[in-house]
Amino acid sequence: MKDNVLRKLQVLADAAKYDVSCASSGVSKNNTGTIGNSSAAGICHTWSADGRCVSLLKILLTNYCVYDCEYCVNRLSNDVARASFTAEEVAELTIEFYRRNYIEGLFLSSAVEKNPNHTMEKIVKTLLILRHQYKFSGYIHVKAIPGADKLLVQQAGELADRMSVNIELPTEKGLQLLAPQKSMKKMFLPMKQIKDQITQSKEERMHFRHAKRFVPAGQSTQMIVGATNESDLSMLTITDQLYQNFSLKRVYFSAYVPVNRGGNLPALSTAPPMLREHRLYQADWLLRFYQFDAKELLDEREPNFDLDFDPKMIWALRHIHEFPKEINTVPYNELLRIPGLGMTSAKRIFKQRKVRAITYDDLKKIGVVLKRAKFFITCNGQFYGVKSMEPDSIKEILRPAQPFEQLQLQLP
Amino acid sequence: MIYLHDGTFNGLLTCVYAHYYDKAAEGIYSEGTYELSLVDDKKRLVTDVDKAKKVYNAIMTKISDEAMSHVYHTFLSSDYHKDCYLLRYLQLGFKMGYKIDYHRTHQDVIMVHKLSAKVTKERHLFLGTLRFQEVGKGLYAPLAPDHDIIELLASHFADRLKHEQFIIHDRKRNKAVIYNTKAWFITEFTYEEEVKVSEREKQFQDMWKGYFEHISIKERENLRLQRQFVPVRYRQHIVEFGD
Ligand code: SF4
Repeated sequence: MKDNVLRKLQVLADAAKYDVSCASSGVSKNNTGTIGNSSAAGICHTWSADGRCVSLLKILLTNYCVYDCEYCVNRLSNDVARASFTAEEVAELTIEFYRRNYIEGLFLSSAVEKNPNHTMEKIVKTLLILRHQYKFSGYIHVKAIPGADKLLVQQAGELADRMSVNIELPTEKGLQLLAPQKSMKKMFLPMKQIKDQITQSKEERMHFRHAKRFVPAGQSTQMIVGATNESDLSMLTITDQLYQNFSLKRVYFSAYVPVNRGGNLPALSTAPPMLREHRLYQADWLLRFYQFDAKELLDEREPNFDLDFDPKMIWALRHIHEFPKEINTVPYNELLRIPGLGMTSAKRIFKQRKVRAITYDDLKKIGVVLKRAKFFITCNGQFYGVKSMEPDSIKEILRPAQPFEQLQLQLP
Repeated sequence: MIYLHDGTFNGLLTCVYAHYYDKAAEGIYSEGTYELSLVDDKKRLVTDVDKAKKVYNAIMTKISDEAMSHVYHTFLSSDYHKDCYLLRYLQLGFKMGYKIDYHRTHQDVIMVHKLSAKVTKERHLFLGTLRFQEVGKGLYAPLAPDHDIIELLASHFADRLKHEQFIIHDRKRNKAVIYNTKAWFITEFTYEEEVKVSEREKQFQDMWKGYFEHISIKERENLRLQRQFVPVRYRQHIVEFGD
């Protein structure tokens, strides 16, 4: 019996692995060209061979799908191994993995088996068993299936910590091309419902302590990077709108890994655009924590990020007249705009200044990446960068030794 | 004067007390790790809980609770000179007050922050990578950490596994946290025989391993990054990395 579950687990883990939206993946802290550091609050339980943090049991309830989205391994017309868990099986796995400290919780996604309602019902059943039968209080993230009954989405939201509806592609046009059975409108419906019920439950809980919680960890979504030829600008614009209109907690990006052949898809030999994904995460980070505006980072003239430099660096070079900034006096929110300076070092500088003026050498000890920062700061009036504040000469010095090359996959 | 203590936190604080009220100290060490030197003028102090408490309260009120947590974490580190660094840090702290932790560029602060960060980081790693297995009615988790951190893990797991009995066993230091569904305590602990893994336990381990293998995306493989997150020395007790 367990052999059977083991086989299903492998099939359905395989099927779920391209989904990045779990609690602690996709948070990029450093500039290594990869992602996978843990988020501030998250606990990573292990790291898979691709270096990504694993904190949740991330599986598909089923990979039988009635839809036929071109970019997806599980599309109807693909000949892949199929499997379906029962609600009981998923619940037991979650509990047993959780007790052994393999995971922090469950991330349950699903293909659309039979129809949206049938699938959503099964998701709700799994959560009911976990929460009520096993009294599981750990973290649960589930997918809301667009097209499912409002009531089912509501039930799931009352049991889960986080919910997400995946956008997948940033424009209606892209969707029509690759996933003609989906539409922005159909996806925005459950998103809006979730947003409204979150707001409502927050309000009720201010008055009644026992009012029901609804998706307390908020909602998120995911977009695929590089399946269609949309620009970074269109990705970032919709990201910004999603944060504003649906109060999303996170937007995740996932570099497209070619799994299917298809007239509208990148060739199978195309490497996943990892660096582009990384730049989008950096930009998203700037939106959420550094008070940047999408419009400040990209525009029609330059709709894509530079792969050689991070978005903040590019922004600074385009606003070179605002620099250099004096480390010992510049206000905190402007500290955050200096390339090479992260939130941690900005905080440290801010505090250190209260004890003693900061010298150039001190900056190293505090953890500032001077290689980049030195062109944009003065320290006690002294400037350490190149003499002329010329964006091009700064770029020349900082350009990565070997220009980044997308590795080509070896095909037989 | 070099003061030696019994290896407990109160022992360390007793030495700090002596530094201020008896003879000034040049260094403080735990008697168990101290490497004998004939030239040193040294004195073994008996741990005095009242004196320790006075120093504890002084740190909390005259410096800060943040400093206290740096002191405690540094104390748990395995650095040979840790207590000497702590002495200097505290001397500065009693002069500067809570602002000491703003002073990230002072040598005495750097040393303590560095060690304290190492310990906190290791604790965080084990919150995720500690692996329990079912043994009889309870759960058992072996580990061999660089620093003496099991105490820092105890309350997290007591909260997470409220209704289960468990043992967290530091195999390097032969001590363990034992939790009996009500409270936890720390005790000396050795395991004579290797733990036998039940059939049911083995099934879940296999399922986890199978899951672990299948969750990674081959096109994105990056073993160097993986090694950065889970250094090889930690892998022997992590189910999915074993063979
Ligand atoms: S609906 Fe989801 S699982 Fe089904 S083909 Fe589309 S993306 Fe894949």
